[in-house]
Amino acid sequence: MRVTAAAEPRGGLASPATSSARVLRSLRAFPILLPFAALIAVWWAIHATGDFSPQVLVSPLAVWSAFLHLVIHGVMAEYASTSLRMIGFAALLSLAVGVPVGFAVGVNGYAARALEGFLRFLQGISGIAWLPLAIVWFGFTHTTTLVIVIYTLIVPIIFNTMTGVRAIPEEYGLALRSLGASRLRLVKDVYLPGALPSIVVGLRLGMGYGWRALIAAEMLVRKGGLGDLIFGARTFGQIDRIITGMIVIGCLYVVVDRLIVQPIENLTVARWGVLRQ
Amino acid sequence: MPDDMAKSTQNKIVVSGFRHVFETDDGPVQATDRVDLSIRAGEFVTLVGPSGCGKTTLLKALAGFIRPTEGSILCDGATVLGPGRDRGVVFQELAILPWRTVRRNIGHGLEIARVPRAAREATVGRLIELTGLAGFEERYPHELSGGMRQRVAVARTWAADPDVILMDEPFAAVDAMTRLTLQEELVRLCGATGKTVFFITHSVDEAVFLADRVLVMTRRPGRIKAAIDVPGRAAGRDWESFKIDSAMQAIVEQVLRLVREERGATAPAASAAVTK
Repeated sequence: MRVTAAAEPRGGLASPATSSARVLRSLRAFPILLPFAALIAVWWAIHATGDFSPQVLVSPLAVWSAFLHLVIHGVMAEYASTSLRMIGFAALLSLAVGVPVGFAVGVNGYAARALEGFLRFLQGISGIAWLPLAIVWFGFTHTTTLVIVIYTLIVPIIFNTMTGVRAIPEEYGLALRSLGASRLRLVKDVYLPGALPSIVVGLRLGMGYGWRALIAAEMLVRKGGLGDLIFGARTFGQIDRIITGMIVIGCLYVVVDRLIVQPIENLTVARWGVLRQ
Repeated sequence: MPDDMAKSTQNKIVVSGFRHVFETDDGPVQATDRVDLSIRAGEFVTLVGPSGCGKTTLLKALAGFIRPTEGSILCDGATVLGPGRDRGVVFQELAILPWRTVRRNIGHGLEIARVPRAAREATVGRLIELTGLAGFEERYPHELSGGMRQRVAVARTWAADPDVILMDEPFAAVDAMTRLTLQEELVRLCGATGKTVFFITHSVDEAVFLADRVLVMTRRPGRIKAAIDVPGRAAGRDWESFKIDSAMQAIVEQVLRLVREERGATAPAASAAVTK
């Protein structure tokens, strides 16, 4: 996030540090916050002008107090950590399986051609579409959720690993072989670093799809997680909890993406500038 | 080329009856047809010919990346079965690794050969000096000009110290001025190290300037159509004197004629009648 110098208050004059002035200042400093502020303002206005039952719409303030309540009683930590553990575990497992599979397919031209259409076909069948079958096979369990999330995550990882390996110029490998490189050397020095930026892109896409699939699966499986939190709240008409849960779902995704996945991407892609072309 | 038989003891590379057919979606394509050639140890041989005549196929077979459909390829009397450290390759497309610095690219072959760090650094340092890359050791390829990247590719191959160096239009992608400099550097580098070099090019000027001997290939399926000796040591050449040397320019004209005939030929049979 970039803080522009123009956003700094002009001069050191002691302006009244009212809270509204502070909000305005931070909006100019962080344009990323602007749409959020607009959303909250519209929401507030709609709620204030209409006559809504708390079973239909609540004010942003009510959501804030519901959020504090859930945090103070440890409920939020419980549900959020279930979801985060699930996506983390699924991501690790998908990488451990998806990257080697993507490699095996990528280095074999025939296999790559054979699988490309199939992988696109699978990408069309979202993880959520597998839920009915998964529930029949594995019941309302964490296994069902995990299977759905891994399925969703692993397809883009395999696909991007495969395309990453195939995009490496043939000459890289040939030149190294004429320098006496073994197969293992080629993987370590050429294929792995060459495919890494693409693998990270696959992981990033997969995390996005996987997070959505996770919430959906949790809503049906009802064994914890943020999806369970918001779907359970519906039963009791707790609109404040539903909206709180939705906001947390969005925030956690942004945090995971910005703090973990994007830095890895920047590191690999920026360093090897040539690959960006 | 029967006269090569007499010198076979000092031949580094002997290709006999090399024919290569590769499969495409439109059926088999014959890239080369009974190529015979031999290259003496320490000789700089260039190969010119029309596009798609099988030059690169021949180079790939010498490197061991592909096997002949028919015929044999010997290096030091042993059949070439695959790529090896004794035969380095410099490609036209930048085959240096974008995620390695100049130093680590040049030292890559030595790293693979498990040469101890101190010896490796000494060799790399010497080649960085020889190729004018001093001061750029820690740069990544994308931070270099095209000419410098190609110097890294050349230095990497030389650092691994192969007996034979195979070059596939290595200077085709750099600008004309840089190319002249790189060519002069290459003849000096070869003079200093005494490598056997097989060099493919489209440019007749380049072929004559660099070579002890120029080979001309027919259009596809390619065969060696003529071999022209270039007198004098390549190591001493520079472009200024080369351009006004009438003996050299006569050779350029001769090679140009031979290549042009191939470009204009309407049937492969037409080229069969042409001899040296």
